[in-house]
Amino acid sequence: MLLASRFIRSDDVRVEMDVRVEAVSKVWNVAGASPVTALDTVHHRFPSGRFSCLLGPSGCGKSTLAQIVGGLETPSTGRISIFEPASGRSAPPGAASIMMWQGLNLFPWRSVVDNVAFGLEVAGVGRAERHERARAMLATVGLTGFDKHLPRQLSGGMRQRVALARALIMERPILLMDEPFAALDAQTKIVMQEELLRIFEASRKTVLFVTHAIDEAILLGDEVVVMTARPGRIKEVIPIDLPRPRSFDLVNTKAFGALFQRVFHLIREEVTKAMAKPTAGAAA
Amino acid sequence: MTKRRLAEIALPALSIIGFIAVWQIVVEVRGIPPIYLPAPSAIAVALAQMARDGSLWINLAATISRIFAGFAVAAICGVALGLLMGRSRIVAQIADPWLAALYPLPKISLIPLMIIWLGTGETYNIVMSAISAFFPIVLSTYAGVQQVDRGLVLAARDLGASPRQIQAKVILPAAVPHIFNGLQLGMGVTIILVVAAEMIGGSDQTGMGYLLINAGQVMDTDKVFASLVVMAVVGAVIIKLQRFIDRKAAPWAVHAGPHQD
Repeated sequence: MLLASRFIRSDDVRVEMDVRVEAVSKVWNVAGASPVTALDTVHHRFPSGRFSCLLGPSGCGKSTLAQIVGGLETPSTGRISIFEPASGRSAPPGAASIMMWQGLNLFPWRSVVDNVAFGLEVAGVGRAERHERARAMLATVGLTGFDKHLPRQLSGGMRQRVALARALIMERPILLMDEPFAALDAQTKIVMQEELLRIFEASRKTVLFVTHAIDEAILLGDEVVVMTARPGRIKEVIPIDLPRPRSFDLVNTKAFGALFQRVFHLIREEVTKAMAKPTAGAAA
Repeated sequence: MTKRRLAEIALPALSIIGFIAVWQIVVEVRGIPPIYLPAPSAIAVALAQMARDGSLWINLAATISRIFAGFAVAAICGVALGLLMGRSRIVAQIADPWLAALYPLPKISLIPLMIIWLGTGETYNIVMSAISAFFPIVLSTYAGVQQVDRGLVLAARDLGASPRQIQAKVILPAAVPHIFNGLQLGMGVTIILVVAAEMIGGSDQTGMGYLLINAGQVMDTDKVFASLVVMAVVGAVIIKLQRFIDRKAAPWAVHAGPHQD
């Protein structure tokens, strides 16, 4: 069911899509141990065109929530609906979204251009066309002249751009991002954040961005969804009504500082709670 | 040329030349009988004579063709079964007890049975060669398929790949370093088993193993050494060639190893 749902015509999904999360829970059954509740009755609506950041301590289930929205995990209870707000027409989970992974998951044996073109290749797009589109998308994310390189020949920041291009080329209305910049050095991270802001502000997709960095969540997001330590619940949703287009200069403003303080006080409690618990085998 | 590169080339060569020189001097000074230990110069003479009368080329060609024939059969069957086992739990469960029982069995112990069944002709040699290479190839392929990074499979699925596309475009290429590792192990044991099979197979045969045992029986010690030298060189060339092909086929895995993500 999950795989069949992928074969949807691209013009069906090149529209605005809302995500409604209704009473979603996820329980991991670990062999020989008591079950772990990763998510506990989460409700939220992610409207189209909004950049939502999921923020919480490690193990709060924020990555799991993103994977459930993307149809890559099934919820234990509750449901996800993905629908076009104007018509109410719905799409199966996974058909309207694409994930940018924490570990990037680039195919190490494929060149940069063939990594980016993978989604088009499996959809049956011809070689010349998919390469042309992949190169155009690479230019959009600011990476030209490295088409033939293998991922391991690139720097961390360049690999991020490849992964971003591979996701964006699918033209899905929902972009799921699971801590994509967590492994980058501080300067490269800032460059990538600004790049993402530029791309988001031009395309206005529905974005779910998982992070544990408060400044990143405020800089990028239209809202910050603060989650509790395991079991993951939504503790508070903080709207970020800072003007767009944004740049990294925003972090020096008073408004940013005030938001940071507010989010920090919410999150500090949860991090302290999370640290007091033993880490279980289940993924965050 | 840097000092280091010079050392990389010069030291191994010096090591071999030095060893041969000491050997030659010790044999001459101590007057060791050639039947125990011929001088390197005598071995060279025997080698030249074997090359001139053609016995070296006939037997070397026989051995090499058996190695590659058996290896090719083992590679095709082994990779195919390994991939099938990775794809189907049922196939894996059916094959598993046989692999578990037969893999640790020294393949050389099958020689008497194979001679009873197949005689000592070409079939016997190739079957021994194929059996020996088959097991490491199957097991490495299967391990490679099982150890594929789950993240890559999920990413491919998210990008719209069907199960068949995931098999062909993710799992197979991801397993290539393991498969090549299995092929290298398989080649190593094939060389051993072909020569052993030739040694035991009987006197109506050809092959380096035959040449070796024949020379040993008539105490042609210089010919024994000449055969050993030829086999060592052939083995080294085959292994080096395989590594070279490996690097060309999977350049992305050379430094990173099979577990890079």
